[in-house]
Amino acid sequence: MIPFTKHLKLSVGILCGLALCANGAQAPQRINIKQLSTTVEDVVVPLPNEIFGALNKLGAVNWKEHVRSDKGSNFTERPRIALLLGTVIADGFIAVQAEDAEAVKEIGQRVLALAKGIGVGNSITPHAKAIIESADKRNWEHVRQELDRTQNSVQQAMNEVHDEKLSQLVSLGGWLRGTEVLTSLVKEHFSADGAELLHQPDLLSYFQTRLQAMPEFNLPIIHEIQDALVEVKPLIDVGDRHIPPDSVKKVNDITTRLDHGIVTRD
Amino acid sequence: MKRLAQVMFWASSLLLVFVVLRPAVLASVDDAQSFALQAAEPYVKQGFQVREDYWGGDLGSGEKKAVRQQLFKGNEYWFWLGTEADRAKVSVHVYDSDGKLAEEPDGWEKGHFAAAHVVPKATGSYFIIVSVEKSPEERTHWALVYGFR
Repeated sequence: MIPFTKHLKLSVGILCGLALCANGAQAPQRINIKQLSTTVEDVVVPLPNEIFGALNKLGAVNWKEHVRSDKGSNFTERPRIALLLGTVIADGFIAVQAEDAEAVKEIGQRVLALAKGIGVGNSITPHAKAIIESADKRNWEHVRQELDRTQNSVQQAMNEVHDEKLSQLVSLGGWLRGTEVLTSLVKEHFSADGAELLHQPDLLSYFQTRLQAMPEFNLPIIHEIQDALVEVKPLIDVGDRHIPPDSVKKVNDITTRLDHGIVTRD
Repeated sequence: MKRLAQVMFWASSLLLVFVVLRPAVLASVDDAQSFALQAAEPYVKQGFQVREDYWGGDLGSGEKKAVRQQLFKGNEYWFWLGTEADRAKVSVHVYDSDGKLAEEPDGWEKGHFAAAHVVPKATGSYFIIVSVEKSPEERTHWALVYGFR
């Protein structure tokens, strides 16, 4: 005969076991990161609105101040078009934050023109149409989704024709424009939490590595970005320390300069 | 002439194998992505924006893969892992840059789906560890998608 307390212990044990089975084996509380030799090389570069979303939670932001929808320069060099395309897609996310339908529609047209310029217009046409239609209906969630799809389709189309390097330049253009706006906003209303959003040293290293593997793109803007990333690295790679206002200002100066270089003709 | 015919025969056979097998391999990773997106579906209603971009590949039973990802404090993230292999068991866990488990306790594993929930305490790099715990297949295709709000 098994006493009641033993029954109880056994039942509790079985229940715990079943609960563990349903949720899977417990993950170790700590792992040795240095032993991870099988890291996937390609990171998924965050979308500008991923950063903007975090920034929004820190307080009201005047996104309208940062909306930009001018047509800008036309380029013939494909790397320049790719960088500009990334920047314009980021502008699309800013216009969505500001809920500026006219700017979103102009940006949709511009994205399509640039995508045609690098030979991937066909894959973008349905997205550009969806962006414009959703902006008309003020369906901002759908516009955001279509902007993400646009970037993804451009990059997939480029990868299919082995233009991975151009695809990486699209991501880089978007990241630079996103960082410019982030630093501009944090500079205006400084907070340690806002500045912490700049703590992206691995992402910066990822772009540095990718740019080093593009010697064939021998353009002044590419060299300028390479040099600028070297300047930015120590400002944001601070470990557990806070990123001070002065560093935010410096990163803003650098990214504003780069953005000007990307959108305007030499 | 006979030699040329032989070369032509082998070349076309190789091309046929390539044409037939390549879509099958790609279709499997695409299928895995469809399962990962299926796992993400209920969260979209809760306001999560699911990224179009994803990671994918194949792993043997008991193998792991680490993915490094930049996460931002203030956002909330879910990572969803899927495979098309019916009887496979997969898992996904998230660690911070010091190797400390960084996920919330409501992550789950249900056969060929798994998910991990992260509310980052700091902005920075995180490691997402994807694992095929067991599988009847020699290599199991997997896909990982993520969403944030």
